[in-house]
Amino acid sequence: MEAAISGTLKQLFETRLHSAMRLYLDTCARCGVCVEACHVYASMPQARYTAVGRAEVIRKIFKRYFKLEGKIAPWLGEVLTLDDATMDQVSDAAWSCTGCRRCMTFCPFGIDTQLIMSIAKALLIGADKEPKLLTMLADMSIAKSEGIEETKPGFTRAVEDLAPEIRALWPHSKDPVVTVEAEGADVLYVALAGKHSIIPAAAIMNAAGERWTLSVYEAVNFAAFLGDSKKMQLIARRIHDEAVRLKVKEVAIVECGTAFRAMKYMTGVHPFKVVAFVQLISRYLREGRIQLSKGTLKGTLTYHDPCQIARNGGVLEEPRHVIRHLTADFVELRPNRADNWCCGGGGGLVALGESDFRMKSARVKAEQMKASQAAIISTACENCHSQLTDLNEHYGLGMKVEFLSKLVADALMK
Amino acid sequence: MSAQAGADAVSAASAAAAAATTTDATSAASSAVAHTGFALVVDHIDYIIMVPLVYVSILALLVGIVWRVVTIMRSAPPPYPLRLYPAARNAGLAALGDTFAMPQVRRHRPVFWVFLMLYHAAFILLILGHLDIIPQLRLLPAGSRHMLGAGAVGVAVTLPLLFFLLRRLRSPLREISVPSDYLLLLLLLFLFLFGDMMSWGNSWSPNGFVMTKQAFSKYFDGLSRLTFADPRAVLPGSHYHFAVIHVLLAESFFVLLPFSKIMHTFFSMPINLLRRR
Ligand code: HEM
Ligand code: SF4
Ligand code: SF4
Repeated sequence: MEAAISGTLKQLFETRLHSAMRLYLDTCARCGVCVEACHVYASMPQARYTAVGRAEVIRKIFKRYFKLEGKIAPWLGEVLTLDDATMDQVSDAAWSCTGCRRCMTFCPFGIDTQLIMSIAKALLIGADKEPKLLTMLADMSIAKSEGIEETKPGFTRAVEDLAPEIRALWPHSKDPVVTVEAEGADVLYVALAGKHSIIPAAAIMNAAGERWTLSVYEAVNFAAFLGDSKKMQLIARRIHDEAVRLKVKEVAIVECGTAFRAMKYMTGVHPFKVVAFVQLISRYLREGRIQLSKGTLKGTLTYHDPCQIARNGGVLEEPRHVIRHLTADFVELRPNRADNWCCGGGGGLVALGESDFRMKSARVKAEQMKASQAAIISTACENCHSQLTDLNEHYGLGMKVEFLSKLVADALMK
Repeated sequence: MSAQAGADAVSAASAAAAAATTTDATSAASSAVAHTGFALVVDHIDYIIMVPLVYVSILALLVGIVWRVVTIMRSAPPPYPLRLYPAARNAGLAALGDTFAMPQVRRHRPVFWVFLMLYHAAFILLILGHLDIIPQLRLLPAGSRHMLGAGAVGVAVTLPLLFFLLRRLRSPLREISVPSDYLLLLLLLFLFLFGDMMSWGNSWSPNGFVMTKQAFSKYFDGLSRLTFADPRAVLPGSHYHFAVIHVLLAESFFVLLPFSKIMHTFFSMPINLLRRR
């Protein structure tokens, strides 16, 4: 690798050295307690697939360029120099980690491997070796806010066409069944590209008599997968500005873990509340604004806690509350809640395709699903849903994979 | 006083002191002989290790720790909260619990946890045991011939260390470990073994180690009062080099600590706060 590039990479590295990162890079005892935490290692036992194995790649670069030890006794920590071979290791580490942070709950110090991998991803972008698809998608999200006035009428018409499908779930929906960026709404709902992310949610909010409106943007934050904090802010900023302009009290994020965590925790303070859609459903049930009939669901139900919503987002009990209103035939996955196995599709892996790796690295997830003996597995994240669907097919589990919002919309008592 | 003059003055003094206090004639004789040539060089090296380097290494330790902590405190704060859920009711208490009880290790590696707790608790007792030897800070009765714990503390730090070393040889920890991990453990192992020899000798053998706790007390007294006297005068016997090597290994540990992963001692609390707050 040219000296100029490795110089740039070193600078890039340095911009990431905030106090928490320094603590994480300085503290690891290489005790190995985190080893079994990672679903990738549990499914494919190789040291490079452990949390510490991944972090060490970055730590060895850190020692080489930022520590006295790396200068006077590089062999002590087996330091790595920024060259093409190292960048291959960096890439391997970064794109085999879903950023689920399960390892962080095992580590006696709580080292955040996802955060360390954000350096890996920054270096890959700097070396022009990142998956171009994610960058492209992130750039498209940002570009969308510039041309939004031209696309908005088309988008509004397409959404209005969904009215019959929404009315099928909630016939009492008042006109207009959906509004886009309407002023005076209390809740701004931010969906994804597919209509499956709008129809059930619209039916539920209409059933609750919510004063809500739909965002013209998609909630997904591809820059969060890339670990590109600047772009992540820009993508979140579009929704932030929209919500401020419409003076909504609350922004409800579609069932998408990364979108929720990025909006709620990773992009600064907002003058409005940010909730995951499942939290909104739980509130409607608590306030008696919607009722569900327990008869609609056939077979045992289980629930997969999406990492970015549960362990990393704090939404742990609301889904259970909603499920208690849905069915009495519910089993927990083991482990569950903050300890749940990652589905294996996070960190952008689903968006990138990576089908072979995703299936192999999530063998433990498939085994966990199977052991539950449930007929239906529900979840509250687009990424998890895609991955669970693929696992279900690949491992022949014979389950049904459903969004929680879909199950709730189907069970709305009319 | 120069090391040369100090050494000379002390060899004379040591003969008198040894004659007055030691019953073991051979030990007394060995330190009474005036050294020349190579032996004299060794005497000088011994002195440098036993006195000036003690101060230098402790100073390096303190400066190093402060420097490392300040480097981190002066860095920018993290861009977003790194907390994990479910959130603890009291983040500070939870982080304290993480730091001192390591519940994550207890849950996922119970055997390792037992050794870790034993080791870390014993390490604290080991520090107290050394402070106890300084006459002004005495914790045990003045005449006690035992170090704090009467040899048990040594066992409690040495055995876990052997365990730490052996477990590192097994996959996948072996692939994850780097040379400094082994070297640090070996350094500590030898440091402890030399300490063990002295402490076990004094506590577990009928006539004690060549140098008694009272003798070490005099050495520590000189150190704490900055007399710069040659400890050879108060540490009699031919096993003096065991003490010298023990001290040299301790000094190496002090100097290396600020550069090593043992900084987790100081970082454990703040780093655990990150996931709890
Ligand atoms: C006086 C303070 C401390 C000292 C001198 C100390 C020293 C050590 C040493 C020498 C090791 C063995 C390293 C190895 O196995 O390679 C170790 C391991 C460890 N210490 Fe500490 N420690 C201290 C405080 C703490 C605290 C407060 C924590 C709280 C979390 C902690 C957590 C650990 C862990 C998890 C390991 C396992 C590392 C391993 O097996 O390598 N230590 N410590
Ligand atoms: S964040 Fe998840 S995928 Fe990444 S190392 Fe930790 S456990 Fe493995
Ligand atoms: S558990 Fe934590 S300290 Fe131990 S090896 Fe893993 S990341 Fe390092």
